[in-house]
Amino acid sequence: MPSLTRFVRTDWFGPLLACIVAIAIIQSVSPTFLSLANIQVLLLALAVNALIAFSQMIIIAIGQMNLSVGAIGGLAAIAFAGAMEVWGLPAPLAALFGLIIGLACGALNGLLVRISGMSAFVITLATLSIYKGVNLGITEAQAFYGVPQAVKAFGSAVIAGPVPWLVAPTALVAVWLWFMLRRQPVGRFILAVGGNEHAAELSGVSIARTVVTAHAISGLLAALAGILLVARLGVGQPSIGDDWLILSFAAPVIGGAVLSGGSVSVAATLLGVVIVAIITQALVLFSIDPYLTQVILGGLILAAVSFNRLRESRFIGRFGRA
Amino acid sequence: MNGEAIFEARDIVKTFPGVKALGGVGLSLMPGSIHALLGENGAGKSTLIKVVTGVHRPTSGELRLDGRSVDFGNPRDAIAAGIGVVHQERNLIPRFSVAENIHFESFGANRFKPIDYRRLNESAAEWLRMLDLDIDPAMSVTELSTARMQLVEIAKALSQKSRVLLLDEPTASLTSGETDTLFEILRRLRDNGTSLVFVSHKLEEVEALCDRVTVLRDGQNACESQSAEGLTRKDYVRLMIGRAESGSGWRKRDTRAAPQVLGLDDVASGLGHSGVGLSVRAGEIVGLYGLVGAGRTELARVILGQEPVTQGTVRIDGEAVRVADVSEAIHRYRLGYVSEDRKGEGLILQHSVLANAGVPIWRKLAGRFGFLSDATVRAAVLPYLTRLEVKTPSLDQTTANLSGGNQQKISVAKWLAAGVRLLIVDEPTVGIDIKTKAYLHDLLRELADGGTAILLISSDMPEIVALADRIVVMDAFRTKGSIENDGDYTTMSEKIMTRIQDRTPSGTSSGIGETARCA
Amino acid sequence: MTDSASSAMDTRPASRLSSRSSLRLFLLSNEFGLLVLIIVFAALFHGLANGFLSPFNLFALGRNAAVNILIGLSMMTVLATGGLNLAIGAMGVAAAMACGWLIEGAGLAWPLAVLGGLALGAGLGVTNGWMVVKTGLHSFIITLATMSIFFGAMIFLSQGESYRALPAVFSDLGRARVFTFVSPMFLIAVGTALVLSVLYRYTVQGREMLAAGARPEAAEMSGVRVERTVIACHMLSGLLAALAALLLTARNGAAIPSMAGQLGQDWLLPAFLGPVLGGTLLQGGKVSVLGTCLGAFLVTMLTSGLLLMQVGAFWVQSFLGILLLLAVMIDKGRRSYLRRRNLA
Ligand SMILES: Nc1ncnc2c1ncn2[C@@H]1O[C@H](COP(=O)(O)OP(=O)(O)O)[C@@H](O)[C@H]1O
Ligand SMILES: [Mg+2]
Repeated sequence: MPSLTRFVRTDWFGPLLACIVAIAIIQSVSPTFLSLANIQVLLLALAVNALIAFSQMIIIAIGQMNLSVGAIGGLAAIAFAGAMEVWGLPAPLAALFGLIIGLACGALNGLLVRISGMSAFVITLATLSIYKGVNLGITEAQAFYGVPQAVKAFGSAVIAGPVPWLVAPTALVAVWLWFMLRRQPVGRFILAVGGNEHAAELSGVSIARTVVTAHAISGLLAALAGILLVARLGVGQPSIGDDWLILSFAAPVIGGAVLSGGSVSVAATLLGVVIVAIITQALVLFSIDPYLTQVILGGLILAAVSFNRLRESRFIGRFGRA
Repeated sequence: MNGEAIFEARDIVKTFPGVKALGGVGLSLMPGSIHALLGENGAGKSTLIKVVTGVHRPTSGELRLDGRSVDFGNPRDAIAAGIGVVHQERNLIPRFSVAENIHFESFGANRFKPIDYRRLNESAAEWLRMLDLDIDPAMSVTELSTARMQLVEIAKALSQKSRVLLLDEPTASLTSGETDTLFEILRRLRDNGTSLVFVSHKLEEVEALCDRVTVLRDGQNACESQSAEGLTRKDYVRLMIGRAESGSGWRKRDTRAAPQVLGLDDVASGLGHSGVGLSVRAGEIVGLYGLVGAGRTELARVILGQEPVTQGTVRIDGEAVRVADVSEAIHRYRLGYVSEDRKGEGLILQHSVLANAGVPIWRKLAGRFGFLSDATVRAAVLPYLTRLEVKTPSLDQTTANLSGGNQQKISVAKWLAAGVRLLIVDEPTVGIDIKTKAYLHDLLRELADGGTAILLISSDMPEIVALADRIVVMDAFRTKGSIENDGDYTTMSEKIMTRIQDRTPSGTSSGIGETARCA
Repeated sequence: MTDSASSAMDTRPASRLSSRSSLRLFLLSNEFGLLVLIIVFAALFHGLANGFLSPFNLFALGRNAAVNILIGLSMMTVLATGGLNLAIGAMGVAAAMACGWLIEGAGLAWPLAVLGGLALGAGLGVTNGWMVVKTGLHSFIITLATMSIFFGAMIFLSQGESYRALPAVFSDLGRARVFTFVSPMFLIAVGTALVLSVLYRYTVQGREMLAAGARPEAAEMSGVRVERTVIACHMLSGLLAALAALLLTARNGAAIPSMAGQLGQDWLLPAFLGPVLGGTLLQGGKVSVLGTCLGAFLVTMLTSGLLLMQVGAFWVQSFLGILLLLAVMIDKGRRSYLRRRNLA
């Protein structure tokens, strides 16, 4: 029995249950839901959306927020596509270029947050418009169409059955993040700073280095998401990232991330992404007005944060009496 | 003085915006000694410890380790130099395991090397065992009680094997059993040559444990690093407050004829109170004494309508009432509350003196549609600020920049301006200098003489005995009857302690009986 | 500090001291800095770009500034509580679209429709405030969610169609000029700002908003009904956002679902630029109505000047981001200077 209660109390149990229930309901109404074609569509969406969510999750872990996730993703995407079309760089080098740009943009966010001592919200709002402006200034809102065939092929190829190649990088990232946040001091420092910055500092953690590291990782992941999206779409659209903001918060929050920092879960966030993807997909299957997706996403966020809040306050209540 | 000091602080000055916390303080620590650091609340003990351990940079002054001048840019430097500390506030990483918290510093060595949690747990278990702590090292610290968190932090400090170990009020939340274990360990450390600094308000502990002593008063040395031999409790008190424990200023006041302003009868609350009986008459000062955690501040919240009364009756002016919220308590029933948490709850530090003093009467002063000018507020509050001799360059000064004593005067003045009938004062003199403290005591008596009913919550027994006409004892969210105060500290403290230790529920019924009599 | 301290009674030395230091404080204030910047840039653009100070450009400037000022004020009212409001754009557009529907769909007279739009804005604000208060969650996440909900619902109900057959009053308001170069829209914004100044300075409600924002616990213990006050702040924010969107509708001559961009996100930058440049504290408890207006005006002016100088519209966005960063950094420096001098 104790192993069962431990199971129930893990952070991913709730999202997993919600996930299974959602799948069961939708499947019972619409048997095509779990068809191979549909699963492939789901996985393709997952591959990119999970990275977007992780990019925000790592910032939530330090108790901040990053509004510029989409702008960084968009900038990296056009850097990737542009480097191939305009400079004729081979795809791997172009991808590296995009990733470096993402990393640098993220690190710059972190540095600015640290130096100014201002809320990350305002800083990333400012950099959001800087990065987005640079993106539009370079492209003049025109897409790069010269994406090589190999890249497009990677975007649509499957490893086996319905599993596309696109999920491979995402899976690697998930494992890496999980390992870092669970086992490596860097990851523990990130969570410690989010949990109690003062205590972490007293224990010798460099807050500045940790904050910059987290933001750099966030930028890197956003860039990777942008690059994968270019591969999937086959074009380097400047508008990539414009609609990531809600998405990036929805999954970590559904996965029970504590917004004040110190508690995030890679597995639960991943399940959050799955839940969002399933519901979006279900709307299409049931031919519900796609405009309602936004409403449902917003409602999900509200429901999840309220639920987390309840859970957290019960937890604190128990702890207070102890 | 035998031997060389291992660590010295010379002429340390530390200023915060608007406050000079330390004004040229010295401290010198010998190896193999336990050094008491004494002083009243706000004397600067914690600030000195934070300067020594690299949390704060001193504004001026010098730190010397092994005779060499050192400069700690941050806590890491101090830890690396072998200086460990357990701060007054808890500093654990929430949701992390006990073992991880204990060994957190050691992670810095290689940021990418995977953490071996098994080894971590084993090694943490050893340190926990040393403190006789029966805690699973893999457990999350968030599930621990405050006392146990404190002990985990001590284990953490011990695990760093520091040469100098500073403990800021480590026994404040420990039971006597836990304290004894801790003392044993501290003595053992001392015998092994560690230099310890021990801060406590419990002078018995200091007498039992310490061999050297430094006393701070208002950010200055009242005595610097001298041997504790020959010093008694009386000497410590004299050094801490700058004079002998003086006459309390208590005087007999008879208010038996006055009408009751507040009456609680067998009250229970959502916060866990039960069987609370209490009565305060106009012009009477009733002391509410209890240990920290007895439920006194919480009772104030219940009276003010912030928490619901689940049972029993609350009477104001003899009429049973149900106070809906704090706003109603203030504006309709004219109750006032001077919070123990002056900076968090008593004042809006970011706002001006004028704004702070006026909040409770804005509504009363406002004209039609809520219009209100500064001049109106100024005219209403200035007499009270003047009467309390609030020292400020102007009424537009931000309250954050005033001294603790002046801040407290403002938080009292605002209730005078509001003309409250019952004032609940919660730990009114914590962190306040001696002169202002005496002044506030006089003021409270004067207020009561003017007819205001006063409910005084305080953990400072001398303060309660000096001020109260009657003392109601509270323990574990129940009242345990009331005692007429005769102003004599020795007999009163004995009576109070007997009440608290009396675990029979009869205390409750006597409390109710008392209320019924005066109602 | 203590050595020069005088009692509250000695008003004479105290007032002399405070008038000297208050001049210095004014010279160090955001408002003064902004005024200087506005004059400098006006001169600069006048020299560099042809026709910057022409009546038509001034008129267009005033029209755009009106919208930006109201957007900034809308954010400011929530910043006062120490929170923020991401849903401003979504609320504004929803209100304008509601107004359009009331006229074209329901056939109401325009004054009633305008009132309806404003009421919807206020109502959405109350929804935000109520949820913030009841859940105890930070307004960031609440308004992030409601931004998505409000905007999604608006798009769903309108099916993305604009209302273009609005009565002439709207376009008249957008085109009319007072004294050849002042837009009445600008006057509306200034009038609103004046009302807000009076609110914060001379009314109990405004003072309580600031007290509740600076330190809710202390305000509560002093008799302020904090929850109600916070909801009122959000309501005000919704109302101002609706007004901003209605003015934008007048300028465009139509209520367009995309007039604040995807989810209304395009309003976020101007919403923060005004208050942050103007010295409103993000921690709450202090606002500057004048500063917000000047900040919004400066931003509008810079945008217009840069566009006149043929800097691409896309780069202007980057430029505004940099401006926000600079403002934040300068403010940090100013604050630490004041703290060292014990002036604030
Ligand atoms: N971070 C700080 N900012 C401003 N004032 C402070 C700060 N820390 C302490 N003080 C002030 O310094 C004085 C000494 O405080 P402290 O060292 O905590 O006293 P003690 O530990 O002896 O009770 C107090 O007046 C306190 O208000
Ligand atoms: Mg202390």
